[in-house]
Amino acid sequence: MKYLPFVFKHLRRNWVRTTSTVVAMAVCIFLLCTLRSVLSEVDGMLEASSASRLVTRHSVSLTFNLPMAYESRIQSVPGVKRVAKTAWFGGSLPAKKEGQADADAGSDSTTDWSNFFNNMAVDAEAYFAMYPELVVPPDQWQSFKETRSGCVIGSKLAKKFNWKVGDKFFLESFIPPYRRRSGPFEFVVSGIYDADLAKFPGTDVSTMYFHFDYLKEGVAPRDIGVGTFMVEIDDGNQAASVGKAIDALFENSSATSITETEQAFKASFIAMAGNLAFLLNGIGLAVSFTILLVTANTMSMAVRERRTEIGVLKTLGFSSAHVMGFVVGEALLLGILGGALGVFGSQGLLYAVSHAPGVSDILAGIGLTGLELKPAVAVLGFFIAVALGLFAGLVPALSAYRAKITDILRTV
Amino acid sequence: MVSVKDVTKVYKRGSEELKVLDSLSLDVPEGEFVALMGPSGSGKTTLLNLIAGIDQPTSGAVVVGGRNIAVLSEGELAKWRSHSVGFIFQFYNLIPVLSALENVELPLLLTKLNKKERRERALTALKVVGLADRSTHYPRQLSGGQEQRVAIARAIVTDPLVLVADEPTGDLDAKSAEEILKLMETLNREFKKTIVMVTHDPRAADRAHVQRHLEKGVLQLR
Repeated sequence: MKYLPFVFKHLRRNWVRTTSTVVAMAVCIFLLCTLRSVLSEVDGMLEASSASRLVTRHSVSLTFNLPMAYESRIQSVPGVKRVAKTAWFGGSLPAKKEGQADADAGSDSTTDWSNFFNNMAVDAEAYFAMYPELVVPPDQWQSFKETRSGCVIGSKLAKKFNWKVGDKFFLESFIPPYRRRSGPFEFVVSGIYDADLAKFPGTDVSTMYFHFDYLKEGVAPRDIGVGTFMVEIDDGNQAASVGKAIDALFENSSATSITETEQAFKASFIAMAGNLAFLLNGIGLAVSFTILLVTANTMSMAVRERRTEIGVLKTLGFSSAHVMGFVVGEALLLGILGGALGVFGSQGLLYAVSHAPGVSDILAGIGLTGLELKPAVAVLGFFIAVALGLFAGLVPALSAYRAKITDILRTV
Repeated sequence: MVSVKDVTKVYKRGSEELKVLDSLSLDVPEGEFVALMGPSGSGKTTLLNLIAGIDQPTSGAVVVGGRNIAVLSEGELAKWRSHSVGFIFQFYNLIPVLSALENVELPLLLTKLNKKERRERALTALKVVGLADRSTHYPRQLSGGQEQRVAIARAIVTDPLVLVADEPTGDLDAKSAEEILKLMETLNREFKKTIVMVTHDPRAADRAHVQRHLEKGVLQLR
């Protein structure tokens, strides 16, 4: 411990170099932690999927709808327990307050897209039966069933907008067929759902669900379609054969389908951005390796500059192990400082992103509900920084360890 | 105090062997001030390094304070150096990021003294060399002569058995060199320090009690 001030003083000697190395290290750890957090969240989201739930969508793209008539045909496939139509509404709160919107909620009312959140039209009975993890109090559920414009909202969403049961609000969709001349859709909060996140980690509690029929009645008949059919099957082990049977039904139609497990569906949704895990891990690895070289170079320069001092220290009686310890100590300190800075930076960014208006709900829309720096990721990032520092300092430290006093002082 | 017995030092340069010291013997009694002189390459710095325990002989014995340091391992030598020898370099070799006081305190980090005791001792050493008022100054804020005095304070702070100096006035102007030599005389006379000094400067050598001349690794009788 008594040598620590000595090590610190050496780091301060060339503060520009020390600072830039620490910042480089911090950026590396920041990237690693942030990317790992995203991956960990994606993994959590995929794990939250049930094997007995299938998703049927248009084979071309999610942006194409399937005909509503497919519902009964899917229901007839052996092994299918229930089917629920869903449509992603893409609605956002109008900029005007509810009171004003009541009066003149016309097409001229502007929309505040920063208040965007995930909202879906669903066949409520069937959909919620498939998702036992979404829990709505019985009285609220009854009210939702009986209210045409009713909706149930996740507890996180309710907290965000301070909505209570009975509150009314308007939503304006950005999807053209769902934009009405008569103005935004009006909704009333019938219930607030929650989930046991300890039992069902990764469950989204920030989505709003409303009746599919309400959407159907509100738009022109030619404009309504089904984004996805959620299909619950009797036996999760039969997912492949049931999915194949469903797709076979529409093989020769103008709207062919793809049916996959909910997990595969979410994974393919994420994979629209490419092989995310490979990409993120690749970036992390490349950055770490680069920083290892940068830090090793810094330490090598530091040791080369101080050859005479190393000779002097050894002459004064400091052992080779002492001198090696000083060099490793400096490199470790660089790692610790960079690691701490990187972890805090990542924590700050993830907090900012997950609390930014609109962004958090877009993330929730793709299932990333709890994007945060998990302690395990923070510890991993910090450990990697320390390890990078250690490895970077090892070679120069060994060179300092082996240096002979007479060789060093002869060149002075 | 210092007894070099039949010491030979051979350096190997590839397949070539270079004999720097050839069966050399030297005795330096306690409290003596010895100047080692000789032309470049005569082996005087090598002899000094052997006495200081920063190099080891190919054969022979180097006994300092009754202990043959020629047989010590590298780790044992480092430990021995920390309390038994004070080294004064030609180019001072102070650590630039440390203040004068911290430079002097540096060898004491290897002792069991606490921080307060270390500071007190270092300050005392700086007082001896007349630089107590410059304790917070960094090497770049000191003149060459002052830097060398700080280096001397660093060499004496552990109260070593022997002080070895490798051309301590070689990088100084005449006035500063005179101050350093006076200081070394004082250390020898008043603090009874045994000093072995390598020098090219006859005026510096004149301040020593004994002058020994080396030529081609052999002590000359004069």
